[in-house]
Amino acid sequence: MISVQKLSYVYSPKTPFMSQALFNVDLEIEEGDFFGIIGNTGAGKSTLVSHFNALTRVQKKSGTVIVDGIDLSSKRINVKSVRERVGMVFQYPEHQLFDDTVEKDVMFGPKNLGLSVDEQKKRAREAIELVGLNYAEVAERSPFELSGGQKRRVALAGVIAMKPKILVLDEPTAGLDPVGKRAVMDLIVKIKTMCPTVVMISHNMDEVASYCNKIAVMRRGAVVGVYTPRELFGSQEVISSCGVRLPLVTEIASKLTDSGLDIDPSITDEDELVEALLALKEGRRRA
Amino acid sequence: MRDMTFGQYYPAKSIVHRADPRFKLVILLLYIVMTMFCASFVSFGLLTLFVIITVIISRVPPLKVLKSLRLVLVIVLITTVLMMLFYTEEGEAPLAEWGVFHIYLGGIYASVKLAWRLMLLVTMPTLLTLTSTPTELCDGLESLMSPLKKLRFPVHELALIMSIALRLIPTLVEETDKITSAQKARGAEFESRNPFKKIKAMIPVLIPLFVSSFRRADELADAMDSRCYRGAKGRTRMKSLKFHFGDVIALLLWCAIFVAILFLKYNWFNWAFIAAVGL
Amino acid sequence: MPFLDIKSVDYAYSSGDDEYIQALQSVSLSIERGEFVALVGCNGSGKSTLARLCNGLILPDRGFITVDGMSTSDKKSLYEIRKRIGVVFQNPDNQMVTSIVEDDVAFGPENLGLAPAEIRERVDWALNCVGMSEYAKSGPLRLSGGQKQRVAIAGVLALKPQMMILDEATGMLDPDGRAEVMNVVEKLNREENMAVLMITHFMEEAARADRIIILDRGHIVADGGRELFSTPEIFTDAGLDLPISVRLAQKLRARGLDLGAPLDIDSFVSSALSALDVDRGEAVSDGEKNHNGGGEV
Repeated sequence: MISVQKLSYVYSPKTPFMSQALFNVDLEIEEGDFFGIIGNTGAGKSTLVSHFNALTRVQKKSGTVIVDGIDLSSKRINVKSVRERVGMVFQYPEHQLFDDTVEKDVMFGPKNLGLSVDEQKKRAREAIELVGLNYAEVAERSPFELSGGQKRRVALAGVIAMKPKILVLDEPTAGLDPVGKRAVMDLIVKIKTMCPTVVMISHNMDEVASYCNKIAVMRRGAVVGVYTPRELFGSQEVISSCGVRLPLVTEIASKLTDSGLDIDPSITDEDELVEALLALKEGRRRA
Repeated sequence: MRDMTFGQYYPAKSIVHRADPRFKLVILLLYIVMTMFCASFVSFGLLTLFVIITVIISRVPPLKVLKSLRLVLVIVLITTVLMMLFYTEEGEAPLAEWGVFHIYLGGIYASVKLAWRLMLLVTMPTLLTLTSTPTELCDGLESLMSPLKKLRFPVHELALIMSIALRLIPTLVEETDKITSAQKARGAEFESRNPFKKIKAMIPVLIPLFVSSFRRADELADAMDSRCYRGAKGRTRMKSLKFHFGDVIALLLWCAIFVAILFLKYNWFNWAFIAAVGL
Repeated sequence: MPFLDIKSVDYAYSSGDDEYIQALQSVSLSIERGEFVALVGCNGSGKSTLARLCNGLILPDRGFITVDGMSTSDKKSLYEIRKRIGVVFQNPDNQMVTSIVEDDVAFGPENLGLAPAEIRERVDWALNCVGMSEYAKSGPLRLSGGQKQRVAIAGVLALKPQMMILDEATGMLDPDGRAEVMNVVEKLNREENMAVLMITHFMEEAARADRIIILDRGHIVADGGRELFSTPEIFTDAGLDLPISVRLAQKLRARGLDLGAPLDIDSFVSSALSALDVDRGEAVSDGEKNHNGGGEV
């Protein structure tokens, strides 16, 4: 779905002020992936994903990015069709709301795609309902009157209404309370049934561990590797060399292992840890 | 956008950094007037020499200064080229001509001087913001304008507004960048040639920007209130302004340069050597 | 008399069109000097409203709030109150008044009208307390979120308050930034005997406080020590999470393995070890006992 090869990116090239943000990045994201990207602030995560919808253009001789069959490194590309395919939700997306009603705001994307007004309205309605808001109740209200959680949903609806094939999210749960976080993650899972490929940047290891099937670790502009959650959080080497925090469950599991208990240190799921501890207790009693 | 250095302090230990901001502001004013009086290449050269010396003793890497001139450079180049192409000298033959465009020798001189003047004009203010913290500048302005307080002019408030504005400009630039990207991702186009369409296209950026600016202003006001802000009443400053002997010397030196430039322009005593270099 | 005393306070704000939202209803609580209190609740529970009431940014519709014996409703004492209670807000970008760290930290003491030397001393001390001395002359653009919040804390600290309110001050930070801020706050409470009211919805952070107050839709539903975590329903009913260690222990207890109510990861690990070891009939070794300190109820 997304194929990145030898991608480099330099800010202010050919001036004494240049700084390199990406170094030879290789990445394959397949259809159906829930792809996580983690790394410290400044590791190049945002620069990388902004290539996926041509917000950042591939520089000359700096590798290739192919998204859904479109080669974004070629000179002439239809930017609109790329942005139609790749929906991008930025950090605190509620800050981009602008129109006087929720419906109009959600229609902004479809309108820019040049769809008919009827189609725009139909899509807005579908998107608003998909994100779990009551269309009749919110459609005519100002987005600025809504609560924080609702605003974020409207902003998500604004992207979904473009019916993208790939959804890119930058820290979708930042600043929300636990209930809000879970609701947004559940929502993303729901959206994924329609838009099967999801890419998520996150600092929250618990979220990454429980939702993503692949995780790319970035560090200083390079992709250190792509792992499954188990591989990543089970491997002391990768963890310590990349400065990755463990999901809390995994931290407990690995501490238990370090203290001599026979438990898989790469467990990323709470219930699994509970079962493992119970099994251990059972085993000890029998012994 | 990321490389915007305007209004960004470059910490270093130098005479220029240590100088009293009030003197720096007065010198800057003097300097700006001076650039207007520069007429010949000699006076441009003289002024440039002193600018270079100031940059060197300020210990700000010259690259840093050049970096902040980059944005202006484009504007300067465009105006210069236009001026060169449209400058007409009565009674002289053009050096070259293409349709409406023509180049005269005088045009070359005039446009080079214009470019030089513009570059000089932006260099020193840039150096000022690189070597003085916004607080120092605002304190300096407040102090210079303090006689106006007697006329009930809100000097302190004005200085504070300036300081907050300088603080928030980089944040707002960053924010504009983010919102623009977000709307582009939703298919918005900002590259329209039609100016009306262009303004209309900016609405989805401007409204969120206004909304967030108001929110920021509110939160900042709360933070200031919470930190016991009560206006100028009873307020003291950590860094009180003190001028040194060196500041006076610097000011006198710049006055001397000013006089020299005036001489080069008006040649009051009809000195032959000035007339000889008077390009 | 308690340092901060809130007595049956109501507060409603307008949401446009003559509609009012009752943010707080008959809220009473008091906080003593040196206490470390966490105030938890969902978004919209009224937490931030409470913070703003405490230093008189807003005034209660009913009831009263006193700080060190002075009422926030008395305009003349607001200044004295704000000297005693410092507030750190959520957004790291919206609290810096000037573009240089040390000038910003000086803003508070300058408002107090102190002598320049004294201001300098306080600024240096405050920056040192939060570990930001080396950034004294930096601008905000060079700082991370956690660093900006530490500067905001220093800005409040320079007023030498007796209490600090952190209004979701870690809410917009990444995990490293949150850890930085938490460490600074704990240190201030421990070493400077600063009373702390920490408003948060990160339960791992709340579990580090000595006392926890739960706010649900404008009401205080619980106010107590860490033993609150042994009745997890109080938290879940208020729409809150539990710290992971409590959650795991709860699940294990339901299945017949009782680990008590460990409040952090280390105490979970040590109680798990001792529970399993006790089953095996062996004593817990000394090394593991050391882990056991503090965290458990």
